Amino acid sequence: MICVSALKVYKSIDATSSSCSGPIGELSGAMNDALPGECVEIIVGDESTREDVHAWAAKTGNSIVLEEERGNGFRILVQKVK
Amino acid sequence: MKNILVAGGGIGGTIVANRIAQKLGDEISRGEASVTVFDRSERHFYQPGFLLVSMGVMGAEETNLLEREVLDRRVKLYTGDKGTITKISVADRQITTADGSTHRYDLLVLATGSHIQMDEVPGFAQGAETFFSLDGAKKMLRAVQSFTGGDIVVDVALLPHKCPVAPLEITLMLDDYFRKKGLRDKVNIHYCYPIQGVFGIPNVNKMMMGLFEARGINIHSQFTLASVDVANKKILSKEGQELRYDLLIGVPPHKGAQVIADSGLGDRRNWVPTDKYTLRLKDHDDVYVMGDTTDIPISKAGSTADYESYTVAHNVAVDVKGEGSKKNYPGSVFCYIATGMDQATYIKFDYNNPPNPPTPSQVHWWGKLAYNKLYWSIHARTLI
Repeated sequence: MICVSALKVYKSIDATSSSCSGPIGELSGAMNDALPGECVEIIVGDESTREDVHAWAAKTGNSIVLEEERGNGFRILVQKVK
Repeated sequence: MKNILVAGGGIGGTIVANRIAQKLGDEISRGEASVTVFDRSERHFYQPGFLLVSMGVMGAEETNLLEREVLDRRVKLYTGDKGTITKISVADRQITTADGSTHRYDLLVLATGSHIQMDEVPGFAQGAETFFSLDGAKKMLRAVQSFTGGDIVVDVALLPHKCPVAPLEITLMLDDYFRKKGLRDKVNIHYCYPIQGVFGIPNVNKMMMGLFEARGINIHSQFTLASVDVANKKILSKEGQELRYDLLIGVPPHKGAQVIADSGLGDRRNWVPTDKYTLRLKDHDDVYVMGDTTDIPISKAGSTADYESYTVAHNVAVDVKGEGSKKNYPGSVFCYIATGMDQATYIKFDYNNPPNPPTPSQVHWWGKLAYNKLYWSIHARTLI
């Protein structure tokens, strides 16, 4: 079991609005700078973007350690594995 | 006397200083307020023009003017060591410059911009052409004009970067350039992007994917640049791919200004934590942040800074006058996207309304060129 309160969140991204880099571009940039073990929190506004975050994390070998509904969207913590 | 200091004399800093001077003209003339811009350079560069320089559409001399000529005469300007900020102390409400001077402020606007990191990716500086600097754009133009065939690779190293549509533009312009030159059948164009697709906004990505496929442009994504092997003329990705090039055109990683790091104000990439609506430095009422400097996930573009300047200048004026209601920034962005050497589309969006780019046309191309031409006379001098 993961103790969420013990996780260090390097950066939080509000990805509920349009962004040229897109939610995954912002996430990938922040994860580039995160240290192994640290998390990036991303708030997404729809199911499709939530699935994109899952797909990106799986492809890059990073872990989703927390996910919860927030308003009309989702709060997701992605932990840098490597 | 209210001292308003603007850190940075790029598009954002210059436009916001001019707007503040317009709004506080009476207070400035009565000696109750002053507006001062600090920048290392005495020249003002219109960076969106570098793309056009790299393709021979715009002359290098058209991209810059003396900052003093662009600023409202009521705005003070410090350049060189006097304008190079070495430390920002938000606790003491003062900045220090390279000549050792300190300047106290009542209100500070951070517009220190984003800066390319040519040495962050091994081999990038040695192997890649880039139009993200004026010297780079001039050098790239020579490389493009002398190219007679082979593989051109356009690579985006890391997101976010300034002028986010520019990689799309340069790719489509290269395609059209070599078609018009009668060499397209000898040129393979590759586009490498660090996330799936070619752009971050879904419907823009869909439109551009269609254009790329119709033009025979090879898409490599997700491709996160790890290094450039200059000796063997190939790039390597973190996903384990390799791609050979004859001409590599790269978008380097970007960072916020070093003074942001030296002042302990930003994240590890020196983006400054900013409220997306008020444009204030988080937890500080007397510091505004705008343009590429912020950590807002939106678009690091000149138009973003221009739109933000309305909010910041208005709210600075309210702060100084002590009356009126504050405005929020609605997330407005507008960018032309060149889709060839004589056609373009555009995106216009805000926090609540995603873009819906029109079909590319020559009308929008002329709009793009006109916007660039009018920058110096209209936008920078804030006549609108």
